[in-house]
Amino acid sequence: MDERVIEFIAALRSAGVRISIAESADALRAIQTVGVIDRERFKTALKATLVKEPADVPAFERCFPMYFGHEGPPMQAPQGLSPEQQQQLQRAIEQLRQQLQDLMRMLAQGQQPTREQMQRYAQRAGFSRNMRGGRQLQEWLTERMLREMGLTPEQLKEALEALMKQLKQQGMSAEGREEVRQTVQGNAESLREQVARFVGQSLIQQANESPRRQRIDDLMNRPLSSLSESEADELRNHVRRLVARLRSRAALRMRRGKHGHLDAKGTIRHNLRNMGVPMELKLKRRRLKPKITMIVDVSTSMRPVAEFMLRMMYEMQDQVSKARSFAFISDIHEVSMVFAENRPQEAVEIVLQTLPPGHYNTDLGNSLNTFCQSFADAVDHRTTLIIVGDGRNNFNDPRLDLMQALKARARRVLWFNPEPPYQWGTGDSDMLAYVPFCDAVHQVATLKQLADAIDHLFQHR
Amino acid sequence: MFSSIAEVTQALLKQQYIASDEIATVVFLAEHMGKPILAEGPAGVGKTELAKAWAGATGRELIRLQCYEGLDESKALYEWEYAKQMLYTQLLRDKLNQVMAEARSLAEAADALAKEENVFFSRRFLLPRPLLRAIMSERPVVLLIDEIDRADAEFEAFLLEILSDFQVSVPELGTIKATHQPMVVLTSNNTRELSEALKRRALYLFVDYPSFESELKIVRMRVPNLVPEVARQCVEIVQKLREMDLKKSPSVAETVDWAKALVAINAKHLDEKTLNDTLTVILKHESDVLRARRALMGGRRGMETGIR
Ligand SMILES: Nc1ncnc2c1ncn2[C@@H]1O[C@H](COP(=O)(O)OP(=O)(O)OP(=O)(O)O)[C@@H](O)[C@H]1O
Ligand SMILES: [Mg+2]
Repeated sequence: MDERVIEFIAALRSAGVRISIAESADALRAIQTVGVIDRERFKTALKATLVKEPADVPAFERCFPMYFGHEGPPMQAPQGLSPEQQQQLQRAIEQLRQQLQDLMRMLAQGQQPTREQMQRYAQRAGFSRNMRGGRQLQEWLTERMLREMGLTPEQLKEALEALMKQLKQQGMSAEGREEVRQTVQGNAESLREQVARFVGQSLIQQANESPRRQRIDDLMNRPLSSLSESEADELRNHVRRLVARLRSRAALRMRRGKHGHLDAKGTIRHNLRNMGVPMELKLKRRRLKPKITMIVDVSTSMRPVAEFMLRMMYEMQDQVSKARSFAFISDIHEVSMVFAENRPQEAVEIVLQTLPPGHYNTDLGNSLNTFCQSFADAVDHRTTLIIVGDGRNNFNDPRLDLMQALKARARRVLWFNPEPPYQWGTGDSDMLAYVPFCDAVHQVATLKQLADAIDHLFQHR
Repeated sequence: MFSSIAEVTQALLKQQYIASDEIATVVFLAEHMGKPILAEGPAGVGKTELAKAWAGATGRELIRLQCYEGLDESKALYEWEYAKQMLYTQLLRDKLNQVMAEARSLAEAADALAKEENVFFSRRFLLPRPLLRAIMSERPVVLLIDEIDRADAEFEAFLLEILSDFQVSVPELGTIKATHQPMVVLTSNNTRELSEALKRRALYLFVDYPSFESELKIVRMRVPNLVPEVARQCVEIVQKLREMDLKKSPSVAETVDWAKALVAINAKHLDEKTLNDTLTVILKHESDVLRARRALMGGRRGMETGIR
């Protein structure tokens, strides 16, 4: 059983469920504790130890029956036939067409199909090594395979009649024939079940050969602007996971840096009313959570990066003491409220819709101007200012004076740019002019780079 | 310790808790494997109640840590009773002066004082909060860490350390280790993603809304005075409402409240007027009430004779 469970865990992993070694060990212990006799409890034990996220439940439900399906009664030989009747059955089968002979050896005599036999049927049903797919494909293939074997209800009915006719000719008694009929029907049920499981497992095994994890890693390293819509979706689903990891890392770092120091002056001042007896302590707490203001270019070329940036920062919110976000193309708008009031999915969409791309000219200079005039309070000496953009200003005035002023006011200025450094300063890019006013510039073309940049941001608060 | 899953179900039932087979199995596993349960699911489906019933069923004390934003170690683990320490130093001032009287320099005085320091950092001045209470308890306990998703990720990281070895080190006192490993229930309403590390450590239990039969049992048990037929109708309606796309689906707690309200107004059957008057007990949003009215009343006109 343990081996089967380990195979099952491998299947779950390849379906994208993250399972640690410790959890695998827990699963084995858990099934020892509840036993394998009650299938539902056995399933609960596996689920409680292996699946920790509602989103992974469908994968679990899909894989479970393939590994621990109802075995169904195994193929059985007809009970209570006399040796003579068995002879008659043997001869009757030999009179059938070749294809029916194979089928009836299994159904009427209870011969278990070999793996090779199954593979042959599967191949004839159109199964191939490079097929990848889920439930639908499984159902479709199972259907085709049953037809190939002659197990659809109509085929079976016909085959059974042919056999009965032969048995009668061989002189088998009515009771004998009834016994054979029932055996055939019972075995047909088991065989159908076995076929479905065989198809399911084969598909899962093939999926194993192209693990999803590998695929996510590939996508993480692909430029965000080159993703198809479905690939982007796959990454969107991955963002929460990714962020959960970033968050716990940030949180752990914060724990290490914690433990306040005694603020002697504060304590004395505060305790004057206790006649100088320090009844209440004042601690100096280093302010560890960064205060972040983001200015994000949401013009068409920047959209994929902007979307993932906003999404990730939204999910990091509890690691931030205060966050404000601004979106710009030709002019700038505050979008913090959109994030406060909506779920991330919707928020990102609303922001991107508020500023539809197209006929605008990206103009950071003008946007900075509005920003400094209308939102001066968004940057103070504790703020980390992050600008997400490619620095391509359509030859408008970059307003370096404003950048300089912001740099002087902010704690830090970071720039996230999807373009590689060698493109900075080419064409209408003002990037090189902006660089001197940044404490750091990160290239963020891929989700991996973006995640690293954000991780970095929380390392150096 | 429970010897079978059926025994768990029975014991929880005695505490007026209707456990699905899945819940009973996970509790059984938690007992035998000594692992925390992480119960997630919508609000008011009985996550907190499960911890209470488990404690009741096993005769353990229930210690509860309610989480909230900004919860930190001093509120969750322990604090020094600073005011008491101060009071003692003031009262013992003369004694302290004696201790330091012999000293010829400031340094010597400080050394002499340092020798007495552990008097002031002893258990006498330690104010244990829920986590430390659970660890120090002489008797076995169930520790309920309620709504962990409301605490910061930072706190979660700290909790992880505690849950992995059930010991804490208080610098002034040394390491305190649990005599009995507490049974732990963490609940979450899933308002934010919990860290993978925490999930890895726990048995995961998704508590969903109960089936019709279970919910009816809950209502009958918690509100025995309600007319049985009305109880059935209540649960039917609640279950139907949960299928609708509402801002907030009614929880089990609300079904129970509704049942109680119906007893209070002495309802003998659930006619249109009664339904209309009491719908706000289960639905909290104006727009939900309107939608529900349309759906239920519309459908009920035809059904009414059937119900009465
Ligand atoms: N399985 C059950 N058996 C008996 N009573 C139940 C059950 N489930 C829920 N209840 C009833 O519902 C009430 C609410 O449950 P509880 O407060 O435990 O929900 P919760 O899931 O912790 O909700 P929240 O997320 O809001 O804290 C309980 O007081 C109890 O009356
Ligand atoms: Mg609760």
